[in-house]
Amino acid sequence: MADYLWDNIFRKDAKEKELITRLKENFLFELLSNKELSFIEQIVHVRTYRANEVIFRQGEAGVGMYIIKKGNVDIYAAENIPGQENQAETKVTSLTEGDFFGEISLVEAGSRRTATAATSTETELIGFFRPDLIELLERNPNIGAKVVFRLAEVLGRRLAETTDKISLIKQELVRISEKKRRKKDVQQPHSDS
Amino acid sequence: MYNSRTLIRRERYIKSFTVFALLCFFAWTIFAVENMMASVVLALVITYLLNPFVNKLERKGTRRTTSILLLFVVVSLGLSLLVSLFYPILSTQIGDLQAELPKYQIGIVKLISNLEKKAQEIMGGYYSFDIIKGINTLIAESAGALFSNIPDFASKFLTVFILAPFFAFFMLRDGRGVVRQFLRMMPNNLFELALNLNYQINEQMGDFIRARLLEAGIVGFVIWVGLAIIGFPYASILAIFAALTNLIPYVGPFIGAVPAIAIALINKDPSIIIFLVCMTYAIAQIIDIVFIIPMVVAKIVNLHPVFVVVVIIIGSQLMGILGMIISIPVASALKLTFTALYDHLINFRS
Repeated sequence: MADYLWDNIFRKDAKEKELITRLKENFLFELLSNKELSFIEQIVHVRTYRANEVIFRQGEAGVGMYIIKKGNVDIYAAENIPGQENQAETKVTSLTEGDFFGEISLVEAGSRRTATAATSTETELIGFFRPDLIELLERNPNIGAKVVFRLAEVLGRRLAETTDKISLIKQELVRISEKKRRKKDVQQPHSDS
Repeated sequence: MYNSRTLIRRERYIKSFTVFALLCFFAWTIFAVENMMASVVLALVITYLLNPFVNKLERKGTRRTTSILLLFVVVSLGLSLLVSLFYPILSTQIGDLQAELPKYQIGIVKLISNLEKKAQEIMGGYYSFDIIKGINTLIAESAGALFSNIPDFASKFLTVFILAPFFAFFMLRDGRGVVRQFLRMMPNNLFELALNLNYQINEQMGDFIRARLLEAGIVGFVIWVGLAIIGFPYASILAIFAALTNLIPYVGPFIGAVPAIAIALINKDPSIIIFLVCMTYAIAQIIDIVFIIPMVVAKIVNLHPVFVVVVIIIGSQLMGILGMIISIPVASALKLTFTALYDHLINFRS
């Protein structure tokens, strides 16, 4: 009986340490001290998912982000083609331990999920949601400000990445239209003759 | 794959059932156990009133438990001071009212009897009710009950006033933890919805309770000042009564004005006094409608007036005056829950 009790206490302690370690590894919380992380630990939610379980679906209301504590998550997106029902979802990316997703919902009120997230193995996620962020800012604004700054940095990076991708797509479009024009120019004199 | 899906579905059903059963058990406990409903409602009011101050102290680095204890001490001292200041005035007025109660009983009967006579004159043979007989029995019963029920009321009052702060202390200290434990039991597909709903309902309830109490306080104060200036008897008791009835939307202000007008009529006060009493209540309501409601209340609960009146009637049928007061926040919470559930289950899942 005594062994069983001691065993359980140590296991719980190890679990808490594991959660703090995982939080410290995350970009949002990496600047926080252990004391500050203990506060965050009381606010976040640990959720367990079975393999192939949907975490959220594209178009659903979203209120926060998830950090992968253990396991793997696949992200799927359906192309929004007007007039087409049953649009097939294509796998966009696979995420693994330490990765995080859904952070836009943390700052955008009334946001909708832009993709579907589903587990591919048994997975443990750390959920950090808008109400939790508001609670953090209300109860401990020092920690809240640190987290919000890091969150702004993440969103800034995402914006920069998206801008880069859009410029690449634009360049590619210009290259394709140039190629088409040259092809047309080559065909034009031939047809004139 | 099939196995995994079946397992997920079974787990969701079990978790949903457990959560639903727990909610039913809590609801049953609150309704079935004596004094529990009043204690929980009062504890929630205390919690929503003190929570912003607890958060403020916590932001300054004070531990949450210390902040709550500190606030409880400050509020208790403040209330004791208020009671010691107003007790002499209130006790004199209550004593006077108790002494003059038979006079008012007879006065009310006379007033209604005159009204009945006039109604019979106007309606002739069509009117054949005997209200006076019913009123006499009702007054005799309620006057008897008022004094014979005092020990029972005092014991209930004491129980609620001991239980409510006790509950409020733990709601303020461990409320978030308890909600987190409860959310942990939610199935994964409903977890985000439940978390967001809890946040929204909490925010709305907090804003609603703080706004309504502020509104009632201002209305009560204006009426007290007005009646005191006129030199009307029982100004403090009437102001407290008006402040309390003002918590009931739409019908409350009218109920609050009835005793003052009845007293003025029974005492056969000059018309100018009756006019000034009516004006005092009207000014309080104008201040409420023009300034307080648009600033603090209107933006919080957006329910249609007809819906509000129906909800108040249902509340009064189920739980009397307490039901009338808590019917609006409960209806707002239910509306929010159903809208969110509908959006989640129908709009997004279609």
